Amino acid sequence: MDTWTFGWTVALIGMGGTMLVLWILSLLILLLKKLFPQNAQPAERS
Amino acid sequence: MATSVVAPMLGKVLKIEKNVGESVEEDDVVVVLEAMKMEIPVVAPVGGVVKAVMVAPGQAVEAEETLAEIE
Amino acid sequence: MEVALISGLQGLFLGLVALTPGQALMILVGCGLLYLGIRKGYEPLLLVPIGFGAILVNIPLADMMGKDGFLRFFYDFGVLTEIFPLLIFIGIGAMTDFQPLLENPKIILLGAAGQFGIFLTLLLALAVGFDKLDAVAVAIIGACDGPTAIYVSSKFAPHMLGAVSVAAYSYMSLVPLIQPPIMRALTTDKERKIVMGVAKRPVSKTTKILFPIVVTIFASILAPKGAPLIGTVMLGNLMRESGVVERLKSAAENEIANIVTLLLGLSIGATMEAANFLRAQTLLVLALGFIAIGLDTAVGLLFGKAMCLLTGGKINPLIGAAGISAFPMSARVVQVEGQKYNKKSYLLMHAMSANAGGQIGSVIAAAVMLSVLQGMGIIAG
Repeated sequence: MDTWTFGWTVALIGMGGTMLVLWILSLLILLLKKLFPQNAQPAERS
Repeated sequence: MATSVVAPMLGKVLKIEKNVGESVEEDDVVVVLEAMKMEIPVVAPVGGVVKAVMVAPGQAVEAEETLAEIE
Repeated sequence: MEVALISGLQGLFLGLVALTPGQALMILVGCGLLYLGIRKGYEPLLLVPIGFGAILVNIPLADMMGKDGFLRFFYDFGVLTEIFPLLIFIGIGAMTDFQPLLENPKIILLGAAGQFGIFLTLLLALAVGFDKLDAVAVAIIGACDGPTAIYVSSKFAPHMLGAVSVAAYSYMSLVPLIQPPIMRALTTDKERKIVMGVAKRPVSKTTKILFPIVVTIFASILAPKGAPLIGTVMLGNLMRESGVVERLKSAAENEIANIVTLLLGLSIGATMEAANFLRAQTLLVLALGFIAIGLDTAVGLLFGKAMCLLTGGKINPLIGAAGISAFPMSARVVQVEGQKYNKKSYLLMHAMSANAGGQIGSVIAAAVMLSVLQGMGIIAG
């Protein structure tokens, strides 16, 4: 495979893939927060 | 009508820069907080005279907790 | 008798005679790194052992990277096998509080944007003539994350490990100098003054415990080649958040991390042999690494501007600069810069969200890159 096919493929799929995976993670976090909401009690101090 | 100076985030009070009775300009530092090992100057949202200071150095504060009041 | 005396004395001068100009120069480079670490305080935990390792490996005739050398032993044991960076990752996971990120998960996207410098630098590195895998190793400096850079470059371009890790670690500590001018250049005065309000969205303990488990399972399945990276960070974080293995957590973030940092630093210094390091290529690596971190910052800011636009001006684009993985330096820079323009602006917690996103982002970006390379058949499965 020539250099530029390689470069552009890795760059485009890499950027898109990173964005996609992190977007999915953000949805998963939202889901977790929906499933296990913090109780109404005041947050503990750390 | 008093205006509250509130903590912008969870942290610890490091210094009180303006005591009761002192006059402050808008954007003057009233309280310095420590959060995430960093000094965060909390400024007066309005100018006026400090009417009350609710916290003391070393005290832990929640986000949105009132630190002082300005009139 | 005299003959024996003379040859005995000669033994003491053999080293001096054998010292090449390159080795002398590299000993100076090592001293320079020590200076940066000790006097300037740039990542001393890394630069002190790296600098000293660089001096040791360039002592003529001592051959510490030779077959039986002690530096070779550490290098083969920990760097070649990638054990050291992975152990460090467990410690990083144990040290990191992902709460700011869990509070505001959308900000994680800034952590993705803050990695685009990696991929843009890959193109630049190819353009200036690096081989495919060497270009990958240069680009990974853009992860702005020492262990990630070491993990990837020791896999694909071990001959560049010294340059890549020195660049990654020293630029990480230069973040407070590199970022502010870019932040000023890419944002308008109005944007910089946006006040984001108080960040306060409580997260339950269950969420914090499930987070590392869920991330490991999903992200590793999507990017299996990165599973060791993701898995170790998240194992450390699970030990932290579960609260039931305090001893292991504390060992991971203290004893283990300290021992490994020492040995890793020495081993990296040991790759900086004159013949290997003193090449025009090294300067190119350093330059491209610098550009990579600038590009990360720029893309993060631009993405921040887009989010600002989409949310109707609720997000201050400056926090986009914290989408890189240099934690927590970058978030601090954002807080300081933000308050310069608007005294009533407290961006720290929002920037911390982006910064924590950047930490996950850099690991995910490396994982995605490895998996893409595997998919293309560039690296073995």
